[in-house]
Amino acid sequence: MLMPRKVKHRKQQRGRLTGASKGGTAVSFGDFGIQALEPGWLTARQIEAARIAMTRHVRRGGKIWIRVFPDKPITQKPAETRMGSGKGNPEHWVAVVRPGRVLFELAGVDRELAQAAMERAIQKLPMKARFVVRPGTHGQSEVQV
Amino acid sequence: MPEITLTAEIGRPLGSRAARRLRAEGKIPGVVYGHGTEPVPVAVVGRELRVALSGEAGTNALLQLDTGDGTYLTLARELQRHPVRGTLTHVDFLIVRRDEIISADVPVNLVGEAIEVHHGDGLVDQQLFTLTVRAMPSDIPTAIEVDISALTIGGVIRVADLALPAGAETDLDGDVPVVTGVPPRVQATGAEGEAGTAEGEAPSGGAGPAGAAPAAGG
Repeated sequence: MLMPRKVKHRKQQRGRLTGASKGGTAVSFGDFGIQALEPGWLTARQIEAARIAMTRHVRRGGKIWIRVFPDKPITQKPAETRMGSGKGNPEHWVAVVRPGRVLFELAGVDRELAQAAMERAIQKLPMKARFVVRPGTHGQSEVQV
Repeated sequence: MPEITLTAEIGRPLGSRAARRLRAEGKIPGVVYGHGTEPVPVAVVGRELRVALSGEAGTNALLQLDTGDGTYLTLARELQRHPVRGTLTHVDFLIVRRDEIISADVPVNLVGEAIEVHHGDGLVDQQLFTLTVRAMPSDIPTAIEVDISALTIGGVIRVADLALPAGAETDLDGDVPVVTGVPPRVQATGAEGEAGTAEGEAPSGGAGPAGAAPAAGG
């Protein structure tokens, strides 16, 4: 699973998930993508599950890009522990996702197969997401108004 | 390249709230600048702009921008889009002259079928989707077509191999790859053993094992 090799600080504050994504909102590498429509934390396990779902459906051919990286540590206190005594232990890693962010990209397959594969991957995600096509290709208009 | 006439209103109110109201009316705020002129805030009707930029020339269409007190020959630049909806939120109109060389990003389209790559279960990997070309406004090609029918696995078509139309040239290094024929990567990364274990533990979402916990950083 994805995780940083080393970090400067082991524990982070939670932060806020307001507003839309400031970057990474366009399909940049492949022909198709999965775009988040809601904010949320995407765990390394969910990223891996979505990647595998896509890979298994595509079977052969195709190239996948993962556009998010889980670089935020999430801590948890052990079960049945009294409150206090400091922050819990780092348990897993998440990627902070805001609406508009392209999470995965796919190339090298036709549109029907890509859409089916990505809809399976969307089922593994904790937020609403949709299948998107690079503008100007596959009949997708470059300009939407 | 045909020129498209587009009507623009000048004197639009400035600021984010006014711009939001304009968008609610179906208009798109923009700005006209270039050749040392003072920037002029304008608003264009969204549908007209979409029609203008959806022609053969795409977003590189030459636009005759009619502002009422004058006409500017412009190119649409810096199309700003809403991060979720993808709709245009702002557009720059760059004033150009017919006799000056300008640079424009031209889409690179693949034509033909890479039969040899497909027979070898390979993948056609397009690495360059737009090419920056320098040309007179009327000489900007609508698209650059790359024939991939002779592409083989391991083969590369580079910028130097592209046939640019007369009057157009690119500053990009000729060695930059445009499209390559590569063996399928999904097969390599999605090995059954690795994927099988990963899929088994992925949906559980419980407390992670020691391996999933962050490494003890400095």
